[in-house]
Amino acid sequence: MAGQRVGVRAKEQADARYFLVALCLFLALMLGFPALANLWYSFSNFSFRDLTGGSFAGLANYKQAIGNPGLWSALGFSLRFGLICAAIELALGLALVFVLHPLLARRPWLTGILMLPMMVSPALMGVMYRLILNEFTGVIPAYLQILGWPINFLGKNNVYYTVIGIEILQWTPFAFLILLTARQSIPMELEEAAAVDGAIGARLNALVILPNMIPTIIIVGFIRFIDSFRVFDHIYVLTGGGPGNTTTSLSIYIYKLFFNQNVLGEAVAVSIMLLVASLTLLFAGLRLAVRTRAR
Amino acid sequence: MIVARKGIGSRIGQALRWTVFIVTGVLLNLPIIMTLMTSFKTMADINTSPPPLIFTPTLDNYREVLAGGNTDLLSYILNSVVIAGGGALLAIALTFPAAYAMVRHEVGKSWLLPLITNLRAVPLIIFAIPIYLMYQLAGLLDTWTGMILIECVINIPVALVLFVGFIQDIPEEMDAAAKIDGASSLRTLWHVIFPLSRPILLAVLILSFVYGWNEFLFGLILTTRQAVPVTVGATFFVTTYGVKWGATAAAMTLGIVPPLILGLFAYPYIGKSMLTGAVKG
Repeated sequence: MAGQRVGVRAKEQADARYFLVALCLFLALMLGFPALANLWYSFSNFSFRDLTGGSFAGLANYKQAIGNPGLWSALGFSLRFGLICAAIELALGLALVFVLHPLLARRPWLTGILMLPMMVSPALMGVMYRLILNEFTGVIPAYLQILGWPINFLGKNNVYYTVIGIEILQWTPFAFLILLTARQSIPMELEEAAAVDGAIGARLNALVILPNMIPTIIIVGFIRFIDSFRVFDHIYVLTGGGPGNTTTSLSIYIYKLFFNQNVLGEAVAVSIMLLVASLTLLFAGLRLAVRTRAR
Repeated sequence: MIVARKGIGSRIGQALRWTVFIVTGVLLNLPIIMTLMTSFKTMADINTSPPPLIFTPTLDNYREVLAGGNTDLLSYILNSVVIAGGGALLAIALTFPAAYAMVRHEVGKSWLLPLITNLRAVPLIIFAIPIYLMYQLAGLLDTWTGMILIECVINIPVALVLFVGFIQDIPEEMDAAAKIDGASSLRTLWHVIFPLSRPILLAVLILSFVYGWNEFLFGLILTTRQAVPVTVGATFFVTTYGVKWGATAAAMTLGIVPPLILGLFAYPYIGKSMLTGAVKG
């Protein structure tokens, strides 16, 4: 009897595998094959005219990639951009949660208004900022001019801070939403017990609420860092990576190598290195997340 | 003690909270509000300095970009609808049965699920180059099919995680009853799990549509004329329409309004879906 049941289970499991076949085939074709092709290309000298291969080139592409100072400045930009944005978004998100939680707990629909920027395509967000920040016709500089504070957001000296500011304004809502969910899931009894012990207001937040939110804070920071690190859309439409390469992120750098400068082998070598680096970072991050949760 | 605090202090606190909420709401949505306003302004109002906050709205800009005859905005919008819709439906068709098999039959849950969820965190540009080359060989550049396939890839991690999470919460007694009646896995999936999953199917459909609609990088790389989505097409306005701010603003507005409206319906799921990649697995 028991053996028969195990048999049925095994058969069901075998049947269930068919449900995965389509998904696996699709991913192998759309991601597995391109990744392998990428790997092969990175060791060969291929061109648009000879896509099927070219000849084996050893590590030449990698040598060329590493020797290009542009790579290191793009990597530096992406790391700084990711860290600065993630840190400020976390800080703003937390501050907003502490201030607005009592307000939103009774009126959840208000949260939706703060969520709107997340639904906008980052590319179009960049274009919209390009319109309203324009030096001559933009609405924001015009009003600031009246206030006696003329500032050219898209000028050479400010554009670096502008692209950071736009990223923060678009994605602080994400940090806020996740942190708010974590805040709302802290049981009322805990707050009441803390209040009896004399912890109210800022003391309650610092001593009871904040420690309970640390796992969420780490996860949100990690996700925001990853997403900002690979930034492409709004910077591409705002500055195209310039002036010079002051706003060239790694994604824009690879794009430019391939589509503008046509150094195909070097572009592919950089993307392989980025793949390896991001997988390493992911596994390290996952370990951290699992450990934090286990604690 | 807590009750005693409900005095003038708490009323000031409440006022402060409202102030913070309103300032934050306006600041975060400023580009949306401004673009929306510009799109309803006449040329004269746009060129007035300082920009007027109160003006007589006009539909001229929308008429120009939609019916003017010298822009392709309508076809960009159509392309986006087809690409985002097709990508969302294909992703659901591929991941829903897979999620069921993973949850109920423990197939691939230990290796395939974490592998796929981690995909979301990998920079897409890595795959952009080989997919561009592959599409060139396969003749998929600048086609709806090619764009639908790639949007599907982008949506798979989020769709899979949301489905797995939802099906896990369906009590197993529900399909046990079907099993006793001798139903196969496929029948159980179709007649028991599928109807119960309607809310999550709708949420995934909306979210995937929004992500597909908002995607930019692959639209930029893989399309040139025929299949250009609105995110890419709208950027053409800035260069070709440099001076016509009203028309450009109208094009922007049409590009952002559909996801804004859809997003409001699905927003309880937004946070969950965006956590994909670091929480599960």
